Amino acid sequence: MIEKLKNIKLSTQLIFRLVIGILLLVYLGWRIVQVTASGATFGADTWLRFLISGLVIGGMYALIAIGYTLVYGILFMINFAHGEVMMLGTFAGYFVLEAFSAIPGSAAQDINFLNAQPVLALVLAFLVGAGVSALFGYLLERIAYRPLRGAPRLIPLISAIGASIFLQNAAQLLFGPQRRQYNNPDLLWRGTGWMIPVGDKTVMLTYTGVFSFILSILLMIGLFVLVKKTKLGKSMRAVAENKQAAALMGIDVDSVISKTFLISGALAGAAGVMWGIHNGLFNHYVGFIPGIKAFTAAVLGGIGNIPGAMLGGMLLGLLESLGPALLGLDFQLKDVIAFTILILVLIFRPSGLLGEALTEEKI
Amino acid sequence: MTRQAIRVNNVTKRFGGLTAVDDVNLVVDEFSISSIIGPNGAGKTTLFNCVTGFYSPEEGEIEFFDKPVQGLPTHKICDMGIARTYQNIRLFKEMTAIENILVGQHTRMESTWVESILHNPHFIKEEKEAVGKAFELLDFVGLSALADTPAFNLPYGAQRRLELARALASDPVVLMLDEPTAGMNPQETAEMMAFIKELRDSKMITIILIEHDMRVVMGVSEKIAVLDYGRKIAEGNPAEIQSNQRVIKAYLGPSMNGMTNRKKRKKQNDA
Amino acid sequence: MNESLKRGLRLGLIFGIVFIFFMLIGFTTVATSIIGQLVGNVDAQSSSGQLPVSNLIIFTVIMGFLTGISAHKKDLKPNWIHVLLAGLFSGLVTGLMVGGFAWLIGGLDAQGVDFRTYLPNLGVREIQYLIFNVPPQAAALRYILYFVLSSVVGALLIKVLSPGSTVNRAVVTLKKTTVDKLDVGKLKGTLENKYVLVALLVAVGALMYFLPFVWGSYWNYIMGTVAIYILLGLGLNIIVGYSGQLVLGYVAFFAIGAYTFAILTAPEPHAIEMNLWLAVLISMLTSTLAGLLIGLPILNLRGDYLAIVTLGFGEIVRILIKSDLLTALTNGPKGITNVGQPFWRGRLFTDTNYMHLLMLLVLAGLFVAKRLKDSRTGRAWISIREDQTVSQATGVNTFRYKILALLLGAAIAGLAGALFASRNQFTGPEDFTLMVSVNVLCVVIVGGMGSLPGVVLGAFVLKGLPELLRELSDYRLLAFGGLLVAMMILRPNGLWPVSRPKFIKQRLEACKDEPMEVSA
Repeated sequence: MIEKLKNIKLSTQLIFRLVIGILLLVYLGWRIVQVTASGATFGADTWLRFLISGLVIGGMYALIAIGYTLVYGILFMINFAHGEVMMLGTFAGYFVLEAFSAIPGSAAQDINFLNAQPVLALVLAFLVGAGVSALFGYLLERIAYRPLRGAPRLIPLISAIGASIFLQNAAQLLFGPQRRQYNNPDLLWRGTGWMIPVGDKTVMLTYTGVFSFILSILLMIGLFVLVKKTKLGKSMRAVAENKQAAALMGIDVDSVISKTFLISGALAGAAGVMWGIHNGLFNHYVGFIPGIKAFTAAVLGGIGNIPGAMLGGMLLGLLESLGPALLGLDFQLKDVIAFTILILVLIFRPSGLLGEALTEEKI
Repeated sequence: MTRQAIRVNNVTKRFGGLTAVDDVNLVVDEFSISSIIGPNGAGKTTLFNCVTGFYSPEEGEIEFFDKPVQGLPTHKICDMGIARTYQNIRLFKEMTAIENILVGQHTRMESTWVESILHNPHFIKEEKEAVGKAFELLDFVGLSALADTPAFNLPYGAQRRLELARALASDPVVLMLDEPTAGMNPQETAEMMAFIKELRDSKMITIILIEHDMRVVMGVSEKIAVLDYGRKIAEGNPAEIQSNQRVIKAYLGPSMNGMTNRKKRKKQNDA
Repeated sequence: MNESLKRGLRLGLIFGIVFIFFMLIGFTTVATSIIGQLVGNVDAQSSSGQLPVSNLIIFTVIMGFLTGISAHKKDLKPNWIHVLLAGLFSGLVTGLMVGGFAWLIGGLDAQGVDFRTYLPNLGVREIQYLIFNVPPQAAALRYILYFVLSSVVGALLIKVLSPGSTVNRAVVTLKKTTVDKLDVGKLKGTLENKYVLVALLVAVGALMYFLPFVWGSYWNYIMGTVAIYILLGLGLNIIVGYSGQLVLGYVAFFAIGAYTFAILTAPEPHAIEMNLWLAVLISMLTSTLAGLLIGLPILNLRGDYLAIVTLGFGEIVRILIKSDLLTALTNGPKGITNVGQPFWRGRLFTDTNYMHLLMLLVLAGLFVAKRLKDSRTGRAWISIREDQTVSQATGVNTFRYKILALLLGAAIAGLAGALFASRNQFTGPEDFTLMVSVNVLCVVIVGGMGSLPGVVLGAFVLKGLPELLRELSDYRLLAFGGLLVAMMILRPNGLWPVSRPKFIKQRLEACKDEPMEVSA
């Protein structure tokens, strides 16, 4: 042990990391002490509310994060436009629900189709949302990434940024910049749910929240099974490990890559529809911040690592929800927390929580 | 009395579960030409990487004229006087041939960024001398006409020579060449062999090679070390290595003397 | 034959989708009005029968051209019949798609369906416009006809102009007899003549001095913005173009520079009002310090990670500036007004003065950047960009040089920020969004990484052009995004790729000088 300590080089990097780490711990400790000591803490009911919302949004982040991690694992690039892929899913789901609500549901004209067949409406909304996102994920790869396969890393990244800007603005021009609201069926109306008594207050467990959370978990399980058990999953893992070897084994690498984008898009689309159902308001910009946060989550869990993305997503959701309250900070600074986590992870543990240490470069 | 340029003492390098270099000891004398040979995966390049600072060995020390260098950053090691070339050529592709060499001289130059902006006499003089020296090196390897060609446009042989010139640009005391004749035809190989000898004789540089071409190894080396599965299994001059049974079994094969097995058996049967 | 048809089909589909997309985003309306301006019949707006036709024909002709070009791929050697059929087929496909769409929306509109809640560009008037004010079926037929005709014409036209054809051969011989006869070498030679160079410089200098007086405050503002973006581009060029570090949060340094200057010179919120030139210096210092703080811990991150982290940093800075937490310092979302302005000859800086100052700074910046590039420092940076691991093994202290690049870039951004705040007399958090970072990055990349004329060109194209095409400003970002993708695929080296310095001539000239020394 002493031997190891002796061998640690006192590099500038190390000193800097130590300094930052200590400063951070001190700051966090001080804030928490302040908050608890001042007695201005929130009641148990508020904490529960934070916890619930953290889990719900964590689930959505996880789904989007999986998309990033899948693409990174296979192409070693950040799909900067992934947030926009989610946004398109949100729009698609919206249109489905609008269409349903416009159609009369019964002869009596007293109920619209949306409420007459809520299950069908929702299923269709998710299928169409996921489908549209999957399609755009696929097109994105074919148009903006495939021609740049061999190029130095900077080039596809810029192309991705360009695609992201393009999609955002296309949505804005097509549908207008105004915020729209999701038309949930009455069954799943926002703001309704089970009331849970906590002490002498009550906390609402929203139907939309529970719905989103359960769906997220189901999709994550589904993806896990796909990757671990199916032939496609095996091909994906093979291509991620070593493209040339996979090609030599008879795997159609291009097709696998396309399918990866389809799946990653579909998950993002589902998350997008969920977002609309749970949060209600959205416009063309809805994918941007969640996109970056989901990427943070993917890095937090270990980029390229699927369980890592799931873990990272849930963790980020919780940290984001509970963090401001814990530290006595303004809720405005919620996004700052996410970015700060990103920076800290990359400084102290760039391989993420579950990722393997990046192998040293082969000379 | 010749000093020991490089001393590798009980160096071990591990990657997770794999031990790439296992307790290797090596001594390279000043002004000598030595080779490290062995099957693929034996740990030769890993050893090179440990000496030049790319990797930090888990155990052991590496000494450069009695100074410990294991774990030092690569630019410090280059500054001390160890330069190298690479198995797969790694030139600065977008830069021209002469620019590659100028970068090679980086550690022997001093101009700061402020001086670059001011163009003070020290800067101008240093640049002029550097360019002059760069052209000398280009002449030395026969690439003067291609000085302004971007490296990625150069033919393969020219790229190899350029990488060598870049390594020489830092006035190294020890030059480490990783498979310098890979991909060369017999004539080019012979030229490279003569070149290596000339380098040592005229510039008094210690040279260490990794090579697979046995003509080169046996032709230029004074001392050969053989690695297998990370361990040193033999060491000696060419004659000793060629007749070492262990080396023959692990790497060289019985056909070293130019005779195939069939021919040998035929000879025996005829006798 | 099959190939041509397949290609025709694919192109027809693509153009069909593109055209319908244009209709949905309202681009056809804007394009027709531009064409109207060009053609001179802008007033015919109300009787909308006229304009769409001209726009449509032009667009379909372009589409036809492109079909024709691809139908005539060199390896296929199609003959007239193939080309004709390919053009016909793709025109048909596009015509059917667009016509069908027109029929659909025309028909639904006639039945009273209002699209505007979901597709704001399809109001009643717009739809009438798009179907030529005739019944939907007729409109559909018109589209088919226009597309087929112009597509065929386009395809045939390309065939006529393609290599091997009579027309093409005529053009080539013409070129050989005239243009090629111009001795380019001689032209270059004249440029290198000292007197010519000086005369040129004087002319350009005079132009730069007088233009700001002449072209009015609107152009001073636009060109001033271009100049600021050139400065920002030069700074980012050192970080991204020379040393290859992809920094996506460059706006943070810009913001810090601007806000430092504003805080130090404006009467509110702190009433420090210090000497302006000192304030500029301090602004550069704070930006540089920020560069150091963010740079040290993250410098060793890999490319994509560095990009995202710096992006996060840029956003953090903006959010913090706007937040309640720091409102006492920065005035929060309201921004800081009455930022300090310098005096010149007793009067406050006019926009002409600002323009001159910015021009000077741009020249200084170009000078510094060029000198840095052609030096040991510049070569060290580029070697880091090319292959960091090998660069370090070749003796370059990569950590030190990477930080140096970051600090220099941050300093330049700080300077630009201070000037930006001063010129606008105002600075607010919404001036420093992510888009600014993206804009500057595009200036560098689209211009050409590491290329100084590229940065200047990039700034003009990305900041100057949109001002010229103000009617299209709604579509600016869309075009931007598309341009980025297209540039990366078609011309990743940029509009004016960097050229490597030439040393051989230098040596030859040096050799000419030497014999003198020897003989003495």
